[in-house]
Amino acid sequence: MIGNAADLVIVHLYPDLLMSYGDRGNVLTLVRRAEWRGFSVRVIGVARREQLPTTIDLILIGGGSDRIQGLVGNDLAGRGGELAELVGGNTVILGVCAGYQLLGHRYVGVDGGEVRGLGLLDVTTTAGATRIVGRVSTRASFDNRSFDVSGFENHAGRTFLGAGVSPLCSVPKGKGNNGVDGTEGAVNGSVVGTYLHGPMLPTAPAFADALLVRALARATGGAPLRPLDDSIEEAAELSERTRHRKQLTSRGLTRTSTWANWGRAHRLPPRE
Amino acid sequence: MIAEAVSPGFIRRRARLYAGVALVSGTNGKTTTSSMLRAILDGAGTSTVGNESGANLRQGIATSLLRVPVATALAVLEVDEATLTNVMPELEPRVLVLTNVFRDQMDRFGEVERVIELLERSCDLLPEDATILANVDDPLLWPALEHRDPVGFGIRLLQAPASVPSMRVETEVCSRCGEPLVYTSRTFAHLGVAGCSGCSWRSAEPTYVGTITERGGLRLVTLEVAGERLTLPTGGVHNAYNAIAAIAAADQLGVSMSQAVQTLRSFQPRFGRAEQVQVGGRSVWLALMKNPGAAHVLIDEIADDPRVGSVVVSVNDAAADGHDISWIWDVDFERLVRAGLPLVPSGKRVGDVAVRLKYTGGSVEPQHPDPLDAITAALAVCPSDRSPVVLATYTAMLSVRKAFGGQVASLADAPV
Repeated sequence: MIGNAADLVIVHLYPDLLMSYGDRGNVLTLVRRAEWRGFSVRVIGVARREQLPTTIDLILIGGGSDRIQGLVGNDLAGRGGELAELVGGNTVILGVCAGYQLLGHRYVGVDGGEVRGLGLLDVTTTAGATRIVGRVSTRASFDNRSFDVSGFENHAGRTFLGAGVSPLCSVPKGKGNNGVDGTEGAVNGSVVGTYLHGPMLPTAPAFADALLVRALARATGGAPLRPLDDSIEEAAELSERTRHRKQLTSRGLTRTSTWANWGRAHRLPPRE
Repeated sequence: MIAEAVSPGFIRRRARLYAGVALVSGTNGKTTTSSMLRAILDGAGTSTVGNESGANLRQGIATSLLRVPVATALAVLEVDEATLTNVMPELEPRVLVLTNVFRDQMDRFGEVERVIELLERSCDLLPEDATILANVDDPLLWPALEHRDPVGFGIRLLQAPASVPSMRVETEVCSRCGEPLVYTSRTFAHLGVAGCSGCSWRSAEPTYVGTITERGGLRLVTLEVAGERLTLPTGGVHNAYNAIAAIAAADQLGVSMSQAVQTLRSFQPRFGRAEQVQVGGRSVWLALMKNPGAAHVLIDEIADDPRVGSVVVSVNDAAADGHDISWIWDVDFERLVRAGLPLVPSGKRVGDVAVRLKYTGGSVEPQHPDPLDAITAALAVCPSDRSPVVLATYTAMLSVRKAFGGQVASLADAPV
């Protein structure tokens, strides 16, 4: 134990900048699920140019626009060594959307500008001309187990995985990392990246707990966590999974669905 | 719609039949601002034509211009942010009102920066002599327009808000240099008077100012405009913004501010904008919660209002609501919990709402997907001298209203 640190120290990186898709929900889920089991939790928001605390069990990096990603890029790149060291000490990192892209080697934006990433995940991202947008219900693989997850993706980036990572999920064609290879997200040990927000963890309690088991290792030695009543969370996930499947089916059968019409009417003008 | 298909120049020809065109766009407040502006113009004896709530795409605009105008009539149209660049050259407006920019329908726009870019481009398509009226308190929007010499409107608070929001809705960084913005005063969410911590940018002074002197929850808000006292029969800082925007636009179109204030004193809210309905002799408030920005300002009003006794949170995810509901995690429902208000989850995404509310740590009532059931449940846990509030997304509000239309009696008869 280091000083009087809480049982679980969570760092929320750039909470004022990378926050566009309910990323706060992932933080809140981890905090509550640890607290409900009697662990003390401390959440530290770290902005640009601020120092990281000496003890960190889990780091969350959320989503943001291309512009915001450019704003945090340099600051984050400067923390590469420090974060690699933390990962060596088993700190868990979850990056969502922009946060995921920044965990990789680099992100090449719509305008061709390049943002250097942390290189903690062997992935590379290049912005495409269109965005991959929509609901996803699938299973996530982490620590040799698999978990039901549902979420929403909305990204221009096309991410391709190298040999040093495994995909987090498999998804239908047209979705996920790049719309081509049927993968979503990436994992390497305790570093996880995903495009799924929603946010993902509130309705994926078992997956949230799997991250917590690793993150709480300093306090518990990696012991399993006491089960909680997750009926509300599981019902929400199941209902979304079921509705999603129904909508996919009906859209497949009727080409001129209300949604498709709405989509046409609301088409955005081309970028200049 | 048919006329549009037959003749591509239809909108241009119809628009030229009017004495002038005024457009209202931006994320929040389009409907209320344009209906306030129409009320003011009508009150001053100028007949107006407008589009109905939400019919703010190309087709809706074309349809609304079908009516044969008198030569002196003005067209007041609310226009969807993405449709603005498309219709601007044909509508040739005299006045363009830009209300604000918030995260909304991101499954459609991708990024909030895209909305700002669209509004900025639309300003470049305006006729030379047109006036841009924009919200000077919006540090995301205003800097993008500054080079086009907009005329600013803004709201000042006589008293700082009772509680400072614990949650940010937008990223509050300088549009020029990307450093954090520092606020000297904040009205709600990211709106207020700000300056950059890294460069010399700061909020401009508004030409049109409303100063809020009294807040009455969702019921009323009182502001002072050009030395006149205006009590709006619909509460919230957002409605003060709508009013000052409409007053500014009317002034640009030749109606004096004092006359505008006079008309707005009796303005009635539109669809789901803080409406009140009676259920079995008890009041229920309906409030449209389109996006996190709208939720933020509503919670500001509800949390401190002793007349509110419980809250229904009804979230749908149809196209008009936005398929992505992750923003519910950026809404400070914790403030309602701290105010001791019981919360009832509802809507098509009732399960996700229930999870969100569970993680507030507050007391959450059982789930009721159906809005009528949810309102009954909210009445049951609401003290008799207080009223429940229904916070609902767009299509959730539609079903609430439909439920009231057909079944008010049966709801009234239900044991509460």
